[in-house]
Amino acid sequence: MFALSLRGIATRKLRTALTAFAVVLGVALVSGTYLLTDTINHAFDEVFQTANRGVDVVVTPSRLFDQGNDNASVTPNPLPASVLDQVRRVPGVALAAGSVFLPGQIYDKDDDPLITSGAPMFISDTTPRRFDPLVYVEGHPPQAANEVALDKFSADKAGYELGDTVPISGEGPQERFRLVGIAKFGDANSLGGAAIAVVLPPVAQRLLDLHDEFTTIQVAAAPGTSPNELAAAIRAVLPARAATVRTGEQQAKSDSQDIKDNLSFLRTFLFVFAGIALFVGGFLIANTFSITVAQRVREFALLRIIGANRGQVMRAVIGEALLIGLVGSLVGLLAGFVIAPALKGLFKALGADLPSSGIVLETRTIVVSLLIGTIITLVSALMPALRATRVPPMAALQEAASLPRGRTARWRTPLAAAVALLGAALVLLGLFGSASGGDAAALVGAGAAVIFIGVGLLASHIVKPLSLAVGLPVERLRGVSGRLARENASRNPRRTASTSAALMIGVAFVAFVTIFAAGLKASIADAVNVGLKGQLIVQSSNFQPVPAAASRTLDEVPGVGTVSGIRFSKAIVAGKGRPTVTGVDPTTIDDVFKVDWTEGSPATLIALAPGEAVVSKDWADGHDVRVGQQLALTSPTEARLTATVTGIYDDKANLLADVTLPNAVVIRDFNVPGSAFLMATTTPGEDVSTVRDRAERSVRARYPALKVQTEDEFVSDQKNQINRLLALVYVLLALTLLIALFGILNTLFLTIHERTRELGMLRAIGTSRKQVKQMVRWEAVITAQIGAVLGVVLGAIFAVLVTIPLESEGFTISIPIGQLIVLLVLAGLFGVVAAIWPARRAARLDVLQALAYE
Amino acid sequence: MTATPIVTAVDLRRRFGEGEAAVDALDGVTLELPAGAFTAIMGPSGSGKSTLMHCLAGLDKPTGGIVTIDGIELGTLDDKKLTELRRDKVGFIFQSFNLLPVLTAQENIELPLKIAGRDVDGAWRDQIVQTVHLGDRLTHHPAELSGGQQQRVAVARALISKPAVVFADEPTGNLDSQSSSEVLRLLRQSVDELGQTVVMVTHDANAAAIADRVVVLADGKIVHDGAAGSADEVHDLLRTVA
Repeated sequence: MFALSLRGIATRKLRTALTAFAVVLGVALVSGTYLLTDTINHAFDEVFQTANRGVDVVVTPSRLFDQGNDNASVTPNPLPASVLDQVRRVPGVALAAGSVFLPGQIYDKDDDPLITSGAPMFISDTTPRRFDPLVYVEGHPPQAANEVALDKFSADKAGYELGDTVPISGEGPQERFRLVGIAKFGDANSLGGAAIAVVLPPVAQRLLDLHDEFTTIQVAAAPGTSPNELAAAIRAVLPARAATVRTGEQQAKSDSQDIKDNLSFLRTFLFVFAGIALFVGGFLIANTFSITVAQRVREFALLRIIGANRGQVMRAVIGEALLIGLVGSLVGLLAGFVIAPALKGLFKALGADLPSSGIVLETRTIVVSLLIGTIITLVSALMPALRATRVPPMAALQEAASLPRGRTARWRTPLAAAVALLGAALVLLGLFGSASGGDAAALVGAGAAVIFIGVGLLASHIVKPLSLAVGLPVERLRGVSGRLARENASRNPRRTASTSAALMIGVAFVAFVTIFAAGLKASIADAVNVGLKGQLIVQSSNFQPVPAAASRTLDEVPGVGTVSGIRFSKAIVAGKGRPTVTGVDPTTIDDVFKVDWTEGSPATLIALAPGEAVVSKDWADGHDVRVGQQLALTSPTEARLTATVTGIYDDKANLLADVTLPNAVVIRDFNVPGSAFLMATTTPGEDVSTVRDRAERSVRARYPALKVQTEDEFVSDQKNQINRLLALVYVLLALTLLIALFGILNTLFLTIHERTRELGMLRAIGTSRKQVKQMVRWEAVITAQIGAVLGVVLGAIFAVLVTIPLESEGFTISIPIGQLIVLLVLAGLFGVVAAIWPARRAARLDVLQALAYE
Repeated sequence: MTATPIVTAVDLRRRFGEGEAAVDALDGVTLELPAGAFTAIMGPSGSGKSTLMHCLAGLDKPTGGIVTIDGIELGTLDDKKLTELRRDKVGFIFQSFNLLPVLTAQENIELPLKIAGRDVDGAWRDQIVQTVHLGDRLTHHPAELSGGQQQRVAVARALISKPAVVFADEPTGNLDSQSSSEVLRLLRQSVDELGQTVVMVTHDANAAAIADRVVVLADGKIVHDGAAGSADEVHDLLRTVA
């Protein structure tokens, strides 16, 4: 039977290739994701191993909070010099040195931030040679206060050469340094894509507003003392809460793990799209096998007549699926090597440059890629294979052999409806049930998949009306070829339904993200309209904090009224979890920002003093917090403080987080010197854009990384960020659409093959090649439109469902009708593209051969 | 009945394959089919009768010789012009009906006009529909019609565009005897009442007997060309010449 599978594949090369392609793309995305993320992780492993080479023990401040992906600053206090003294006195310590490594700004020759991709920039200081991971390829480490060394990547990127002036800023205004050294990080040009400026320790202390404090203490063991022994000895003298002590090796792993954890979302994100692509691929495979099984009824019947049992028929079909799955997966695995750099390039184009060197192929990548592709193919071919076994031997002798209806045939529609309802239930459970975070997302995802299957099965019922609706205008436009296209599209509703279902899924996701993003943009605009009273917003162009001193600079600009800074951090509140903390300036916040009060009034905020807090309605409701209650907070720097709740706000603009404290407290006890951003009013009568220009000149003269924006500029800036993410999602969804395209292509080929004689007759009685092409093209357009209409409807329903829970948080649902119409038009064009090749083939059929075709 | 030839063939040759394996399906056929004539082309399997029809109808390209339909030389036409010629000047009836299953009987009948983008002449269509006795079946799909009914639809389809010539390829090959005689009577009627020129390829002597003229082919050559006569006479003719 296996030989028969092979023969089957050999005789249907084109279809096999097209079917395999459905697996190839999905698997390529899986393997590409693994390759990319493994390579990135490996790059970071190497970087941190290099960074900790020669270091036996590392002492760092203990972290209460993980640095999340939000704005909240949760940096613990640096280690004071006293800790370094304590470490130095530990027996077995040969050498101990403190160093700093903190975010700062490095600028290029035009005074713009050197890196704008979102990768961080750091200021560090020179360390004893033994600990120094830098290998100087040009020049030497800085030796004077006005000297700096850069990593080779940054120097190359900005075109800096030795002797050039490099502007740098930390917590204060920009300062200028002379470049005296360019260094590699071991073998790498940079520390994982980040930029690093190395200056003398006192300079670093001044730039970063530190006072003989360190972010790291590196220790070398005396001969005869092992790193583990030394770590234990140091741990014994330091209070556990104040510092974390690790061996160099552990530190490298821990640093690397932190980065990996932060990047794991990338893998998950890409896997979501791989999953969608594989799911759509499965649809395509199931559809192709269904059609070919139907076309091969006589063949199967003949096999049965000559003595093949059902199992053997089953094995013939499954064997073919197995081969297609294996080969497709293998090609997909290899295609991953193309996808991985393509993904990296995609992220780079969108502003996120990820480090990598070489490419890392793990055994797991091979195993998972091959297994997932093969299993998906087998599962998808299972139902058609079962149907093939039901072909009775008699079918070989009958005139028009067709597949017998299965015992379950009459249950098909109720079953499909039940499946769709089950999916809807899962989605609703995920959205409104008690599951949280990842579990809820998984429920919604699984529910969506189940809905797609259900709707894909049900869709056959609406193929006729839909193709009538879509086809009638076509018929009016194109006459007989339009008419035949419409009839052909609805001739086999199930086939058309499952072909368009593949497109439906892709379009549903596109529609979903389009609607969601439109809502997000509308929400931002709304939030700014609702909350913002100031006219100007100042933030850094690369997500780094706005230095405290910049606030004073802005304040001095003529025409600028009140300036108010916002800070974010996190706290542990006894019995109430880990809320996000907002720091505001009570005296000025009310001038620039408006918030609604459930309990209290703007006066409450103005009067907010240290020892007091106002909290959000959502957080208060969720944690049973009332006005007058005392909160016991622990800050990321382990400061313990109490605050009495004096008011509860309902911030429609979502600026103020769970707990709002005075800035003075957040600066002192939460170690958040810089603001996330500043808001400012302009004095009445002044032209806002004139003030903006003036403010921008003043602020950028000292802090070139900052940008001053009007309300409109801020909103469009935020929208642009959303658009960039949207572009990334569209590109990834395009892969899914490509699979759907091949699905339509494949179905067209198969149906043209089926209708060879009809085509021959049509040509014989005078149908031109052009008309034949039109007929095929419009059939494809109608099929694509059915998928697109269903997809847009499903996508819109999903988007509305998902955003309903967000509405209370100020999310505005906005349906971008124009964009959805564009989507439908594009889907039509999509059909045109899918039909190019099949239409050409149909038009080229030799009339006589086609007429003689059985 | 005029003697103007509607279809002519001069020294028609059609060779399949090359070199030693080459087969001459047509080996110098010269033929004139006058307007309003019903001609049967007969011959044993492999005699070249189907190839002759394909070449005369512009479906196949001869390797030598000239074919004209209604005064137009087919050899000078490109594929597009040839398609238009088939559309406007030729009607086809096939052994296996070849109706479009997705269209109703009426739509199938009107299909050639739709393809040509021409308006349907209602009176003409009604006359044809009446002739082929399909009045109450017009809204049915082919799958709901018997073989005989389907072939009658096919006849109507061939006549609807008032072609210069109708080619029928074994039109009774898939029909029982009663349906066969109905279809043959229809063809006869179209010649007698509508003045239609009809060429029918058949190996059935009973079918050929209804024609005005019988052309018999053997090994790619015309071996007989004369009046049809009765079925028995055609039988005898076939035995002697082929």
